[in-house]
Amino acid sequence: MIERWALVSGLKGDLDTYELIQKDLKKTPGNISLFVLGDMIGPEKNCNRLLHRLINPKSNDLQPWCIYGWWEEQILLESGYRGDQRAEALRINKGEEVVKSLTNAVDKSFLDWIAALQFGFVELDCGLIHGSSKDIGENLTLDTPPLTLLDRLTRLQVNRLFTARSKQQFHLELTEGTVNSEVEDLNGNRKKEQKVPQKAVIGIGSGKNYTLYDVGTDNTQFLQAGYKSEKRIKGFGML
Amino acid sequence: MNQAVISCLHANLPAVEAVLKDIELQGITNITCLGDLVGYGPQPNEVIELIRDKEIPTCQGCWDEDVVDGLDACDCSYPSQLAEKRGHFAHQWTTDKLTKENKDYLANLPYSIRKDKCLFVHGSPNSQHEYLLPDMDAFAALERVENARAEILFCGHTHQPYIRELADGSIAVKIKNAVLKDTQEKEIQLPMRRIVNAGSVGEPRHGGTKATYVIHNDVTNEVKIREVEYDIELTCKAIIDAGLPPIFAWRLKNGFEFAEQAEDASHVCER
Repeated sequence: MIERWALVSGLKGDLDTYELIQKDLKKTPGNISLFVLGDMIGPEKNCNRLLHRLINPKSNDLQPWCIYGWWEEQILLESGYRGDQRAEALRINKGEEVVKSLTNAVDKSFLDWIAALQFGFVELDCGLIHGSSKDIGENLTLDTPPLTLLDRLTRLQVNRLFTARSKQQFHLELTEGTVNSEVEDLNGNRKKEQKVPQKAVIGIGSGKNYTLYDVGTDNTQFLQAGYKSEKRIKGFGML
Repeated sequence: MNQAVISCLHANLPAVEAVLKDIELQGITNITCLGDLVGYGPQPNEVIELIRDKEIPTCQGCWDEDVVDGLDACDCSYPSQLAEKRGHFAHQWTTDKLTKENKDYLANLPYSIRKDKCLFVHGSPNSQHEYLLPDMDAFAALERVENARAEILFCGHTHQPYIRELADGSIAVKIKNAVLKDTQEKEIQLPMRRIVNAGSVGEPRHGGTKATYVIHNDVTNEVKIREVEYDIELTCKAIIDAGLPPIFAWRLKNGFEFAEQAEDASHVCER
């Protein structure tokens, strides 16, 4: 049986999009695991219906495995779940109105569930996170220096890092490379050539744009919810 | 021009005095200190006052931070629960001993000092608690220097002096995205960078008993590790007299402090 992961993020309370994705996945062959990599909530619309559905899936829904994202972190900060800190970065960058919209968009009864979510999952040799292994708010993109990407992979000790924060869909593979290291200490000198291990960072997209990962073949498909399955292109790229 | 870099003084006054004397004998007046003025040792106020009176630019170390802000380290700080217990005892002892003026001095130390191409930190540019061990992943080490926009990173914290040069690096990448159908390939050349660890003045962990520091010539870029003898017996007696754990004196005297080093060289501190 083919095993695939569906990787979703940035729903921001959009139950319609979530239902479209669920509908798509029901038509997708293989054994599908659904991972929601944060930003289930946002300030734009009421998020309660989506949160209720994630916590209480319909009988024919794929069970979603959720982690918290940047917007969840903001509401937890603002609601006192992170000690004395508040969502000051959000307040400074977006203003008080957005902070209020966010707290109004989520019923307080959901906060304990959000607070219990994990930072990320490590499945097989893959890390599934919202931002990066350094910071939930870090954007990993095609333009992020490879040295930084390699560091974020190393921190989680994984070979594949799936990230959502940038909203982009991409697959960046570190194919080869070296660095020469020479250490001098009180015991003398030693030299070592270190090679880049084959690793990849995958941007999974946001909202309707999501990603299917074939665990057996290491193949990534970038998809958009609602497109007919026959129009999907296997491998990399999308319509 | 030569500059001296000292680190991890750890309230060991005889060691600090001996190292400052050795620096003076080298004719060096430009000194930078990478923190951890206190912790483990018996003379925290005396060491702070000596560094402050000499107006030596100093970064805040992990002990300096914890004495001010409370203990807040990730599990990389100690190799065992027993070592952690001793460390916590020394933390409380130091907190009780320090004068308010000296606590204020520690509280106001900067996390880093930048001088042209050189960056001075206690642990790493990420945290005073992160160990940059000599054999850690070379790409991760290079990332620490490069993302800090430095050419030479001076650090301490490990108590092991070393000079590490990272050179001739490159990374090739293959990029596929949702917009472009073609695959892009490119190779990025990595810059040559150096990490210089000053070791420890007051609590060496290199397998010997001598205090260490480094001398850097900013014209030739040459770096030398200096080892300095000091009156260990004097420090050991002060440790015992102060009521600190006797093992602190024993390991200083026998050069066994290296047993307290963090075990996992690949660990990346998440604190």
